[in-house]
Amino acid sequence: MVEVINLTKMYGNKVGVKNVSFTAQKGEIIGFLGPNGAGKTTTMNVITGCKPATEGRVLIAGYDIAEKPLEAKKPLGYLPEIPPIYPELKVKSYLKFICGLKGVGREKRESHIGEIMELVKIMDVKDRVIKNLSKGYRQRVGLAQALISKPDVLVLDEPTVGLDPKQIHEMRSLIKSLGKEHTIILSSHILAEVSMVCDRVIIIKKGEIAAIDTPENLSKNMASAECFTAKIKGPAEKILPLIKEIDGVLSVKLDKDKNDSKPEYLSYIIENKKSIDVRTPLFFKLAGLGYPIYEMKSVPINLEDIFLQLTAEEKERAEVN
Amino acid sequence: MLAIFKKEVAVYFLTPFGYVFMGLFLLLSGIVFSIYNLWGARGDIYGMFGVLNFVSIVIFPVLTMKLLAEEKRMATDQLLFSSPVTITSIILGKYFAALFVYLVTLCATGVYAAFIMIFSKTSLGAIIGSYVGFALLGAAYIAICLFASSLTDSQVTSAIIGFGFLFGFMIVGLLTNAIPFLFLKRVVSWFAILSKYEEFANGLLKIGPLVYYLSFAVGFVFLTIIVVKGRLREKGGAKHEKDRH
Repeated sequence: MVEVINLTKMYGNKVGVKNVSFTAQKGEIIGFLGPNGAGKTTTMNVITGCKPATEGRVLIAGYDIAEKPLEAKKPLGYLPEIPPIYPELKVKSYLKFICGLKGVGREKRESHIGEIMELVKIMDVKDRVIKNLSKGYRQRVGLAQALISKPDVLVLDEPTVGLDPKQIHEMRSLIKSLGKEHTIILSSHILAEVSMVCDRVIIIKKGEIAAIDTPENLSKNMASAECFTAKIKGPAEKILPLIKEIDGVLSVKLDKDKNDSKPEYLSYIIENKKSIDVRTPLFFKLAGLGYPIYEMKSVPINLEDIFLQLTAEEKERAEVN
Repeated sequence: MLAIFKKEVAVYFLTPFGYVFMGLFLLLSGIVFSIYNLWGARGDIYGMFGVLNFVSIVIFPVLTMKLLAEEKRMATDQLLFSSPVTITSIILGKYFAALFVYLVTLCATGVYAAFIMIFSKTSLGAIIGSYVGFALLGAAYIAICLFASSLTDSQVTSAIIGFGFLFGFMIVGLLTNAIPFLFLKRVVSWFAILSKYEEFANGLLKIGPLVYYLSFAVGFVFLTIIVVKGRLREKGGAKHEKDRH
């Protein structure tokens, strides 16, 4: 549905995005994740035809956005970072204008607008001037605008910014339900949001793609270390150095949250190198010394850690330079 | 185009812009009509248009300052650019909206013209000529100011640039006399936008001035389209810069 091929966007000599390529299938939700200034908005602006690409192509439903803009923009709905609202218009007349802009038939407009307003829950403000609406409502009016004419492709730039926690929850479930019929490309710097909503995640840093995968695979593959918890019977001061000695263990500490109820079984958080499984030597070593292991459980490293890892790398590099 | 036209006309009357333009236009023409025609007991319409001509360099920028500059500032242009409409139809929709508001205002001054017609012996031709001439002059002014609005994202700057353009075209007529070279004089005098207006005021509907004003309007609308399209097209410069590095 959306095909981005070697997209590069320069601002003078500065790189906006560089060699970004990905495809989004029908019914897929793709999340752009990256720190501020990484190139998320730039990519979205180029995909939607608001900014020209320096190099590369963007195909929407098979049409090149630069060569056949009208055909490519037809199945497109875009919610930019700042909702594109005209503050002096009323919500309903604004959506009517969008219908005209997107070529929704005159006879269908009334029912279509009603449907969309129901969907994003702005029915109660339909006759109010947009200027007087709260940030959350404006954001939803912006989303309503993107949904007019039921486009196949939805591009949403930070759709949950400015919403309260309840609205964020509603917005996420709305996006998820929309993802069944639409192809959605959204950006966010909130990791939980992306891993919750998206089928695939594109981590972008300094304008380049650092990783594309499902949130689960990213957590699995991207991390350089693995982590697990072990519940062991015995005195902590003896067990801690024993675990540390094992080859491949990077760090070990007591899991303070879990050690209150039963002091004889202590929980440890053990981090090991990804290539080495330390569970077998740990088992035999402790068994030999008479410290039984009651439980071992792997802890998946979450996207947040990967994200921090990526940005930390950048920081380190900056410090070296 | 129709959607944009309708929205712009609606916005004119949901914001002070339409009222300020209409108000100023009608207030000034009313004052002139009262002083010049009623108290002065004169039966021609030149006085009204003479004054309107003079103040138009201030009120036309007010009419158009918002059209494109505000879209850019509010980032609503992203909505237009990502919609399945051409840049040409966006610009034309906006241009015709401003033109519509202007023509409606101009029609409202027809009341004065009707008074003059009834109580004096002015020829109908002279009045129609004045109206057609002023309508065309306005069409050209709106195009020039729309172009000014495309150059910036600030309404105030847009109005100042528009004022600058109109003022420039107005005084260019005075400058032509000072130019010693005949060829240059002719070229410069082509831009003296007011000089052609006189012909209309005399009640003569000639094709020359008509084409002149229309080409002015078309030319500046075209320039506006080029400016906006240019923003959406990659300039070759960036590519070359990159190759060099």
